[in-house]
Amino acid sequence: MLGSSRIWKRRLPGAAAVFTAAALALAGCAGGSTTETTDKGSADSGNITWWGWTPDAAPAEAYIKEFSKAYPKIKVTYKKLTIDGYDAAIRPALASSVGPDVFDVAPGAANGSVGIYGVNAIDLTPAVEKSLGADWKSKLAPIGVNSLTKDGKLAALSVGSNYAGSVWVNQDLFDKYGLKPPTNYDEWKSVCAAFKTNGVKCFVQGAAQTAFNEDTLQAISNNVKPGVWAQALDKKVPWTDPTIVQALGIWKKLFDDKIMQDGALGVQQYPDANNDFMSGKAAMVMMGTWYMQYSTVDGSTAAISGAGVASPKPFTQLPIAFPDVAGTGNVGSLYGDADFGLAVNKKSKSIAAATTFATWLGTSQAGQQAVGDILNDIPALMSVQPDWASIKLVNPTAQQPALEKLISDAGKSAEPRLATVSADLQTAIGVASTTVAAGQATPEQAAATLQSTAEKIK
Amino acid sequence: MTSTTSPKIGARRPSPAPLPGNPRKRGGRPSGLPWILPAFVFVVGLIYFCIVETGYISTLDWDGTSPTPTSVGLDNYTAILQDPIFWKAIWHTVVFFVVTFTVQTAIGFVFAALLHSKVRLGAVYKVLVFAPVVLAPATMAPVFRQMFAADGQLNWTLDHIGLGFLSQPWLAQSTTAMPVIMFITVWQFTGLTFVLYYAAMGQIDPETLEAARTDGASNLRVLRSIVWPGVRSTTVALAMLGVIGALKTFDVPYLVTIGGPNYSTEFLGTYIYRISIPSAHVGYGAALSILLLILALLGAIVVATRANRKDGESSV
Repeated sequence: MLGSSRIWKRRLPGAAAVFTAAALALAGCAGGSTTETTDKGSADSGNITWWGWTPDAAPAEAYIKEFSKAYPKIKVTYKKLTIDGYDAAIRPALASSVGPDVFDVAPGAANGSVGIYGVNAIDLTPAVEKSLGADWKSKLAPIGVNSLTKDGKLAALSVGSNYAGSVWVNQDLFDKYGLKPPTNYDEWKSVCAAFKTNGVKCFVQGAAQTAFNEDTLQAISNNVKPGVWAQALDKKVPWTDPTIVQALGIWKKLFDDKIMQDGALGVQQYPDANNDFMSGKAAMVMMGTWYMQYSTVDGSTAAISGAGVASPKPFTQLPIAFPDVAGTGNVGSLYGDADFGLAVNKKSKSIAAATTFATWLGTSQAGQQAVGDILNDIPALMSVQPDWASIKLVNPTAQQPALEKLISDAGKSAEPRLATVSADLQTAIGVASTTVAAGQATPEQAAATLQSTAEKIK
Repeated sequence: MTSTTSPKIGARRPSPAPLPGNPRKRGGRPSGLPWILPAFVFVVGLIYFCIVETGYISTLDWDGTSPTPTSVGLDNYTAILQDPIFWKAIWHTVVFFVVTFTVQTAIGFVFAALLHSKVRLGAVYKVLVFAPVVLAPATMAPVFRQMFAADGQLNWTLDHIGLGFLSQPWLAQSTTAMPVIMFITVWQFTGLTFVLYYAAMGQIDPETLEAARTDGASNLRVLRSIVWPGVRSTTVALAMLGVIGALKTFDVPYLVTIGGPNYSTEFLGTYIYRISIPSAHVGYGAALSILLLILALLGAIVVATRANRKDGESSV
């Protein structure tokens, strides 16, 4: 013992020095300094990287192509990450000194939360003022400005907004089997029975990816009594409100009556449910306005191909109002947020060029027209509307009026979707949805548990 | 009688005479530090520093990016002990280990014994058994998700062989999701168990086996009384790897069921990810990681200690 202790005494300083050096070196990597770089680079040249979970690769390429026409000396490289993998990738990337120059953030807690990653972004207020003038706030959709402002700082520029509450149908499948999209519970049930007889899945929901269950539950709740769900999110009514209990009961009934596909609790919205719909295996899916992009020939072809179909053939996709499952007549509710915003990494070595790109896509007429025409988002610049003459829809006669109505209805909505939902509350809603669906809790029990969890959330 | 002096085990060996020109340091012994320095920096820096850093983070209430984390002392650990999902994950880990280790050991041992006898196309079987080990779980997960889906190949097959009454949404039910995860794990890692047993059986003295057969021992008796004790150290090593592997389980449940439905396939690894990344409770996740490390070390120590004790008993 004595011998070993003498050896330690002799070697300890050396070992400690090595340990400290290693610790300091690693601390430099992991510490996550948030200091803004002083060298902002050139505003109209350079190479910048953009990371996001949305848009898909094809729309992103279209945006970048348009941007290159205005700024040919700025090269933008887009890296698309999965929805579930985005946070795992962006957090260490932003903590390092080699993260992306531009990155997606979103309101709420679903992924890329501006509340979490906003600290890594520069304030874009001066850039927007320069682009749109002092009255810039009056030109942009308030939903995008308010929800992406953190601690008085405009952390990201909204590219556009998205709304959920609609159901998308494969009109070609409905026509093939002589069926009509359902408008109420009984019709929905009989349509699903008919599809099942013909070996087609009716309505697919990736109930394992619980964030999307929230969309369906909010739609049901709004059908029972509009606005109660949003009030519960706002803590103005408890989650045990009869409207929400009834909504959970109807949600359970969708499973029991086989309106939901078999095994929905083991299926994810992306890729499973999306792929089932895109490959023509399912006739209906719960998706929002972001699905408008698949109404175009290019968007539809790419999505069908992405679903694993060897020879993709576009089909007519149409949005319909969520069926009147409660029999109240309260249909057509939409709820939404800014879809995603572009934030500029404060550690970027090309802050000026990155700001140019974010500002161009979020505020310029050309950038926002590209966004509007791709139909992935409803443009943030309120003066921009999709240029229907230049958009090549799969079935313009059927789709254009439906899309115009969807955009118009969305513009009238002020109900939030995910922007006010914390990660913990989202988990709790997810647990309520799956325990009820699996029969492990009654709607009353699940609502009580949800309320009790919500009360504990800071 | 000529007496020879043979070195005794454990006796200190005399130092060899120094070679001319060989530099010596104080005490006549060279310092090993320069030689181990690269490995030392790597190990201390990358592993132990991370553990210490994780230990520190586990005392914070932090979202992973905020510049102002709050120190909460041991509150995260206290909360974990009252967290039902944590205990659920522990229970799943125990069940998962017991089932997968037992099944893998049984299948791997039997395959190894069979392939040590003269089997036609033995090399082909070895490749077939081992092939799943080299396939990445990320590659196989979509295949298994498709296979076990409600409209997947397993139910299709059951329907077409008159066993349609057994069809069910395997991944959508709490009762069947965990067995599916175990099945995939057994499918994937039995090849490794097989290879290790196969190698260990090759080390058993053939004369012992022959003597047993001469004494009239049956195949089963030989396996039970000679081969099984002969591969004991391999079994212990596999058990230790199994405990650590079960505690670290992440990829298969995350990729196939996302830990669901209703946490029925939640393991510590998936829970740490769920808490740290989507929920952004990085301090809580770090505390879970430290507990995972402690449990892994304890598990390995328990297995090794029990094995040593048994070795001691059998040698008495």
